[in-house]
This record gives sequence, structure tokens and C-alpha cells, in this order.
Amino acid sequence: MTVEIKRRSPLTFSETPLKTEVRDYWTVVQEYEAENDGPWVIDLSHRSRWDLQDSDLANVQPAGALIPDAPGHCAFDNGVLINRMNRTQASIWHLAGAPPELPADAACTETTDATLFLALIGRNIFAIAEKLTALDFKDPAKTVPFLYQGPFSHVPCQIVTLERTTGSGGILLTCSRGYGRDMGHAILAAGDEFGLRPAGENTFLRWIEALSA
Amino acid sequence: MKRLENLPTLRIHPEKTLRFEYRKKKLKGLSGDTLASALYANGIRIFSRSLKYHRPRGLYSLDGESSNTCMQVNGIPNVCTETTLLADGMQLEPQNISGSPEWDMKGFMDNLDWAMPAGFYYRSMHKPARIWPIALKQVRKAAGLGKISPDFQMPGRYDEIYPTADVCVIGGGPAGMSAALAAAEQGLRVILLEIRPWLGGFFDYRTADNGNGTSLAQSARQMAQQVEQNASVRVFTHTTVVGVYNNNLVTAFQKGRDGDSFEERYLEIRATSVVVASGCIERPLLFDNNERPGVMQIGCAQRLAHTYGLLPGKQAVFSIGHDLGLEAAVDLSDLGLAVACVADIREDGQDPVLLAALKERDIPFLRGWVATRAQGSKTLNKVTLATKTGTLTKEFACDLLVASAGMTPLTGPLSLAQAKLAYEPYTGFFIPKQLPDKVQVAGRMLGLNSPASIEASGQLAGVIAAADCGKSVEGRLQEARAQLNQLPGPDQGCKLVTAPVQGRKTFICFDEDTTIKNVKQALEMGFDATELIKRFTAAGTGPGQAGIPGHNLPLFVAQYHGDTQATAMPTTMRAPLVGTFIATYAGSNHDMCKRTPVHESQKNAGGIIRRIGVWERARYFSEDLSCREEIENVRQNVGLLDASTLGKFRLWGPDALKALQRVYVSDMSKIADGKVRYSAMCNDDGCIIDDGVVVKKAENDYYFTTSTARAGATVEWLRYHTRYDGWRFHMVNLTDAFGVINMAGPNARKVLGKVTDADVSDAAFPYAGYREFMIQDTIPVRSMRLGFVGELSFELHVPSSYMQTLWDILLDAGKAFGIRHFGLEAQNVLRMEKAHLIIGSESEQRTTLHDVGLGFLWDRNKSDAKTVGAVALKQTENQEDRLKLVGFKMEDPSRTPKDGSLIVDSRIRGHVCIARHSFTLKEPVGLALVDAPLAAEGTRLQIYEDECNGQHLHATVVPTPFYDPEGKQLKM
Repeated sequence: MTVEIKRRSPLTFSETPLKTEVRDYWTVVQEYEAENDGPWVIDLSHRSRWDLQDSDLANVQPAGALIPDAPGHCAFDNGVLINRMNRTQASIWHLAGAPPELPADAACTETTDATLFLALIGRNIFAIAEKLTALDFKDPAKTVPFLYQGPFSHVPCQIVTLERTTGSGGILLTCSRGYGRDMGHAILAAGDEFGLRPAGENTFLRWIEALSA
Repeated sequence: MKRLENLPTLRIHPEKTLRFEYRKKKLKGLSGDTLASALYANGIRIFSRSLKYHRPRGLYSLDGESSNTCMQVNGIPNVCTETTLLADGMQLEPQNISGSPEWDMKGFMDNLDWAMPAGFYYRSMHKPARIWPIALKQVRKAAGLGKISPDFQMPGRYDEIYPTADVCVIGGGPAGMSAALAAAEQGLRVILLEIRPWLGGFFDYRTADNGNGTSLAQSARQMAQQVEQNASVRVFTHTTVVGVYNNNLVTAFQKGRDGDSFEERYLEIRATSVVVASGCIERPLLFDNNERPGVMQIGCAQRLAHTYGLLPGKQAVFSIGHDLGLEAAVDLSDLGLAVACVADIREDGQDPVLLAALKERDIPFLRGWVATRAQGSKTLNKVTLATKTGTLTKEFACDLLVASAGMTPLTGPLSLAQAKLAYEPYTGFFIPKQLPDKVQVAGRMLGLNSPASIEASGQLAGVIAAADCGKSVEGRLQEARAQLNQLPGPDQGCKLVTAPVQGRKTFICFDEDTTIKNVKQALEMGFDATELIKRFTAAGTGPGQAGIPGHNLPLFVAQYHGDTQATAMPTTMRAPLVGTFIATYAGSNHDMCKRTPVHESQKNAGGIIRRIGVWERARYFSEDLSCREEIENVRQNVGLLDASTLGKFRLWGPDALKALQRVYVSDMSKIADGKVRYSAMCNDDGCIIDDGVVVKKAENDYYFTTSTARAGATVEWLRYHTRYDGWRFHMVNLTDAFGVINMAGPNARKVLGKVTDADVSDAAFPYAGYREFMIQDTIPVRSMRLGFVGELSFELHVPSSYMQTLWDILLDAGKAFGIRHFGLEAQNVLRMEKAHLIIGSESEQRTTLHDVGLGFLWDRNKSDAKTVGAVALKQTENQEDRLKLVGFKMEDPSRTPKDGSLIVDSRIRGHVCIARHSFTLKEPVGLALVDAPLAAEGTRLQIYEDECNGQHLHATVVPTPFYDPEGKQLKM
């Protein structure tokens, strides 16, 4: 018997995928059956992520982009999201478009396999989030996109708010990969009353495209 | 019972009938009813029997201030029927009865009050001592309300939310709503919490004029509409505050309604400023049989009529101390209640308009009179009134006594917020004299009674709260202050605490059956402080918390002391202010734990999973918990262990080596390329805290592992111990990024050789070597030759997303070589046979590196950096009388001592860290930490196992490792 080489996400939804694509050994679900009109939770764990550390981040330009100068600030450009974590550290998430070329020096460590990566988008996203965390996504003092590093369903996470409009919103979160299954369950259970359903990557890409437009 | 119709204040929906069962009898209620109002509508007057004396208890208030009306609802005990909305199909059973509420077989207890004075269980039944265990059982049987099976499954869904606001307003009455609107007007996010299912507070059910031509109820509903339509105000109705904490954390629970996804949900609200506008409750009037069914408070009577359409009785007497009582008498008389008499405790100060209204209706009015006795064996049938001195008396036949000594503020949230309360003689209220930072107070709690003043005080509090949030509101603040100053201030309050009675049947606390006589007994015994009396008499310790006795108790104690109440202080309030289900606090209760990338696969292969720290791990792979087959397979063939939980880190930067040198005891500069270095970390006391291997991947770039337990603390540990050095190094925690497979056994190389083109021969990849290669030309692995279980082993670190594939590939390739899983227990035995230790199992808080035999790892001559723990290691290295880790074999080969058993002689000399039957050695062996003098080879150890009945086991200290002492197996 030959074992097929596959890369696996830490989270599998029970819904039936309608369209999938194999990409770099990942089976990426592009669309699920009955995605409905949201809100949605989307597994993006196959999308590349890096940790960037340098004592002088001001002089580092991953993928040609400037790293935001204050912790908690984020920059989203060309499908790449850069989140300033602290004085010496930033995380880089590839959301859409061509994968970025990152400096091959020591500053970057690929963390794609280290975390679960989810997007929560659509209506009532913040009502769902409110059931899982005390983090204040609606803080008027913050401008999107912004980063929180704090608990979500009691698990330390990095959470970026990308959209915050009346009636709609979008957040991205990463947490340790080992928590993948429980995090997925917790989010789906919290979102049950709001009709939260898994969606494929296409829904996410459409949303991000609209956001960038 | 016929309902009143067409009242504009009604909250019931006559068109929607709900069916429910009470004591198996089918009854009907209306949508909007509470359980209590539905029962009342069906003629139920006795709701329960009291805790101690089994006295009949009925509806007294409607906000759950006592346990009078607690019932078992749908199998759930102690549900407050006053605050729970009726739903179709509910099943209700009364509590604490032997027989029926009307005919309770334990009713005779009411005549035994002489045998149960204050604190009787502290003072009686203790001599002779043998009586107490018997008595204790009886006391315990009698104590507590409701019954629940230990395996009762709470039905329904319980949830939680964690909202944030600028201003949190507690209380949705006129003051609270005004505060919320005033804060929202400043562009702030406001959360408004209201205990009842609707906004409006004590305006909601009153038809009295607001002073501007509209009724109070009408103006409350207009204001509620404004609040609900204001996008900045988030309203939580049917929500009870249970805690107020530092930094304005407010906790509450909300009851779900039809259409909500939850039965109850817990709220944890963080706000910049908190406005407490929780209003007042009525201070119970103390007289004989003051809790007899048929006696109720003003608000209860009036709300039964106006909210639920139920006339509370036929013939009523009022004994009150506040104008609200006069208003209610007039109002209920107009609705058809015959009012025999209104007795007002106050000699003067009544609203002349209300007095005129009484006169107009020919309702007799007595100034300075008070109820002294409610009569009727089970429910009320007569009331005795007397002058305040008790010199004159009158009796009135009635089925309803509306009784209240006046108002008292609901200060629970303020107390929890650490506000300083003081007795204010004019109002008779406990009023905040000093508020914590960013906590405001508004409304009736300040003694205000005029509707306009109450609203204005709410507005002022809302504006101050806006200032707390950093808003510039100076002009608005002045305006709000001026407005309040122009309006009537606080009303004078009624001071009477108790009617002129002896107090034998005058209940100050309904929940605990505490009487005035009990309080006097405590006082006479020398308990002079209210807090002590509360505990000695149990007053205020029942489910209603301090709802009924809360302010009467300190006032009575002060009065008894002749303090003119100036020094009275309410007893300390503690969260939760109102009790609710544990299920509500548990919420959805997601058990968040970590799973490895091959968790499901191991489970499907028969893995028995155990929670270990934050991880779920496969401990066994069969029902045979000795794991014999797993162990023997590793020794004879090859096994796969999932070791993904190991801590894994990348450390790099110009000063990375210095950081390693600081925390590891070995000289880390000697790590050779392509080799792993095993070492340990100690704390400042030289005690071992972690071990693992370090690999040098490139110049100033290292990859190292830690034990599972230390993975979460390692980054902080390195940062902490280098905090003053200014070294340039960085770390990334890769624990979850890599899965780890430990493939061990004599056939391990054969399996690995089948799946990679890399040369994995002993010559090319020797013991303690490190290599990076590809599996099937695709999967990158970092591989280490280690030997934790004492066999030829390859530890394969693989990106987590590939882990399952690699696992399957190895299982497939290993079929011909007898490959199978092994779990943590098998690993435990295997490594014990090799005397390889697990930190935390063979070490404890006191054990140093030397104690556990790892002193050889320490390089005392390291330059460049001070090693954490080195000073202590020097001092303890040759210290006598330390614990030492030794191996032992049992004298009786049929007995294996339990882990943790004690090593003893005349005292405790150590303990067994691990002991197992070794299938390899065919006898039980173990490792123990013992006092140094017992560590010599050949020493006979006595082992005390729990429940051994003094029959010690015996073992002999032997050299380790037990298995393959020359290490041939792991170096093959």
C-alpha cells in the first residue's frame, strides 16, 4: 500500500466540501455545501505564516512592506498582513494573491504548521466573539486592522480585526495548532445561534478582495 | 381567579394561555406570568414550608427576596418562582414539606421553638460527645432546601458573554434609564442591566401622576422606548447583578426568554464607569406572624394587580410607613379591593392629597398605629393593630395585610464595589458616603422620592460617568447639577424597626426562621456586633441573602444597644448577591485541550487517551494496563510513540550561545555539528527543572527540546535569566509546529531505511547524531539518534501538517518488521528499566542535579556566562543527608509497590518514584528517592504502601540501569 502524501489542517469541519483543490499537498476546501449567507468560519491553516524577530524592526521590510511602528498595529497590503506584536517581533500572514518573498535571513521563522488559522467573517461576528473572549473588538479607540494578543475561548491567540462595519465584520485568529479541534468546536458552538457555518477559501478570498477594493 | 382587564400597566397576554402542573394538578396561566403569579391566579396561597419550623409561607415580595416561594421546577430545586417566567408544560413541586403545603406533618415543629434558641446547634447536643454524631445526622437531614440527585443532568443550554462598555448602569428604573441616556448622549457605549423582564422599575406599575399629566407607568414606557431605540445603549433585561469588582468588572446572569438560545447566561462586563441605580426594596415590618400567607409588601400587592391583573385579596388592612402604602391603598381600592383600614406608623408627614383620597373613599386611617399580630393558623384571617407603644389595640378581619416599614436602598452592588456606607438619620437609609473611583449612584437609593428628582439624579450620574470616561462635559455637568438642586430632595424615612411585640414569632429572616427573640438571645449572650449575630442566628445566610433581614438586623441591633441607630452598619455583602444555578457559571464549558497531529489515528488504533496537563495523550494501546505486548514489541521489534508534546524551540542571534550557557548546566559551546547534546536546566537552588537536547543547526542558530511540562515556561525562563544582559537573541516556540515520532526497537533502522534515501546506518548516523533528510523525497524531517527507552531509536521531528502522513508511512513500512504503537505507560516502563528519569517523576522540588545522578552534566568550568544554579550546585555537591535516586528490586517478586509508597524505618526516609513489573527482567523493579545513607548498594529498604496494615514490603538497592547497562542496544 502506498501512503498518499498529504498535509493536514488541525481542524476538519463535518460539513461536506463541494469543491476542493490540492495545493502543496494541502487539500484546500474552496466551497462547502450550503454555506448560506454567513456568518462564516473559514479554515486558512494552509496559508503561510511567519514569525519575524529583529532588534531593529524599523529597518526590516518583509515582502517590501513596512512593519507598523506600534505594537497592536497591523498593515495589510498586497494580500499580506503584518502584525506588530511587540518591540522586536511581528507576525506575517499571507492572505491572498501570490505568496510573498521573504528575506532568507535568520529573522524569519516559518510558523505555518505551528498554528490553527481561522477567519470569522460576516454578520454577528462580534456577537459570537463576545461569547468567547472579553477582548473589545468594538473599541472605538482602535482603527482597523488591529491586533490583539489575548485569550479566545481561554486559549492564547493572535487576533486581527480586519473589518468592523455596522452589521458586518471580520477577524482572523491564530492559536496553537494543538487546540485546533477544540477551538473549532467552541467557535461553532458559540456561533450556532447566529447560523455560523464553515465556508471555503473562495468565500474568504471574495471577502478579502472586496475589503481591498 | 378572574384577572383584572384593560389595565394599561399589564404585562400578561390574556390571549395566550400556558399550561403547567403543580403537584400533578393541571393548571393554566398566561404568557407574561411568573410562576408565582400563575400559582396565585390559581388560588395557591401556601407556596412552601419554612426551613426550621415548617411554618406556612406564601407570596411576600415579587423579586425573590426570600426563599418563601422557591420550588422544584422541572426537576430543578430552589427555583425562585417570583422571578421565573412561566413556560408551557412546566412541572412544579413545593419544597420542604412532609405531606402537603396545607397539611405538613412537621408543622408541629413550630411549637418547639423553645428547644431551638439562637445557635442551639453550637450549644446543645454536644454532651455527652457520643450524641453529636447522631444529632449531626438529624440536623443535616433537616438543613437545606430542595433535593437533587448527584447524577442529575441539568437540562437546557447555559451560555456566557463578555461584553465591554464605557458605562455600565445597574438598574433599569427611571434613574438608571436617565443615566444611560445621559451617558449615551455623550457618544459612549452603555450597558443597562435590569433585573425584571422589562425596563421601568418602580414606575412601571404605578398609575400615579408623574407631575406632568402622564402616569408614572406611561412615562416609564416612553423612556424605555427611548432607551431601547438608542443604538448606543445595550439593554439586558431579566438580568441580575451578582458581583461588582475592582476596575469595574460587573458580573450578572440573564434569564432567557422564548426565542433565546439559552436558559440562563452569565455576563462578565468590563466598563470604565459604573452607575448603581438599583433602587429600593421595602424594609419588612416586624410583628408577630409577619410572614403568614396573606401578608405581603406594598409593591407585591400593587404589582399583582397592575402587572399580572390579580387582585391580591378581598378584604385588606394596610400597615405601612411610606406614602407608597397610601397610594397603593387608594389604587387597589379603586380596583375593587375592600380596604378595612390603613394604619400608618408615621404620626405626620403624609401626602395630604393621598390622605384626602383615602377619606374620599371612606377608608379609615390610623396615625401612629402598626400591625402587631397576624392571625390565622395557615393563612391570614385577622390582624391586630396597635399604637406604636402598644397601649391601644384594634382587630380587623381580613385576608390580606399589606405591610411595610418603609423603603431601604438595595446597596449590594455598592457594598461589593467597596463603597463606604453610613446610616443617614433623616432618610433612615444606608447611604454611600464615599464612592470608589468611577462608581456613581443615582435615584431612590439616595432617598429621593419625587419622580423628577429621581430622573434628574440619573441624568447627573450619567454625565459624571461620561466624565469618568474622559469626556469633556463641564457645561452639561453644571446644568444637570443645577436641575437636580431645584427639585425636591430626599424624603424623611420611617424609623420604626419593630412593632411593640415580644418577638417570639416575629421573623427577621424568613429563610432561616430567625426571630427577633433569637436576635435578642444572641445579644444577651454577648454577641454585640451585627456580623457575629448574623452568623450565630443565621439571619441573612439563606438563599435570599440579606433581602429580608439585610437592613432590619443592623437597625434592630443598634436600637437594642441604644445607639439611636447612628452607628448601625449593614453586614458585609459578598458575591453572588443573588444565587443562581452552578450551570450558569459553568456556561458552555468548552474543555480546551491540545491534541497531537496523530491523535485521531492513535485513538482509532485502540489508544486509550488520558488528559496530561494541557494535552490529551495515548497512554495505553490495549485493555492490558501493564502494556506487556507494547513493551515486548519495542524490545524485540519496533514501536512508534507519539512524542509531539515535547517542547521545541528555535533560538538564534549573536548571543544565542550565551543564553544557552546561562540556562543549561553543560558547556553548550561544545555541541558538535551533526550531534545532539543532552543537558539539563536547574533553578537557582540547583534543583533540576528540565532536561532535553540541543542541536546546533547553523552558526548562532540552535534547535532544542524541553520536557512537555516546561514547554510553556521556557521562553520566559530564558528571558528572565538574561534580563539584565542586553544580549541579542531571539526565540520561537515551535512546540506545535513539529510533530515528533519516536521510532524505537531493534528493527527501527530497517523501517527508516525503507522510507528514505538518506544513509541511516550506524556509521553514517551514529548514536547521539543529528541529521536532516527527506522522507519519500518530500517530507522534511529532523532526526535524532536517542535512546530514552533503551533501544535503537530515531526521534523524527516533522512539520505537524505532515505528521499523520509520516506516521502512516512508517506503519506501512514497518509491517514486515512487527511495528506497532506504544503509549506513555509502555514508555514509562521501558525508560525505567533503563533508569532514564522523567523530571517530576524521579525528581521533586528539593532534588538537585547531583541527587538524581546527573551531576556529570554540569560543567563547572564554563566561561562567559554564569550558569543558573551553579552556585547552589557547588554548595550541595557534597552535602550529606540529601535524597538520592536509587534503583531497587523487590524481595517478593509477586509484589510491586505503588508509585509514591513511602520508604520507612522508624521515620519516613524517602519514597518510591516509580515501580513496575519488568517483563524484560521478569521481576518488579523501581526507582526511589531515599536518604543518602540508604542509597548504598545492597541496602534493604522497607516500603510502606497505603492500606498495608503495617505489613511492609521489602526491597534491595541495586545498581542501575537494570536493562542493558552497557548501552549496546541503543548504540547498535
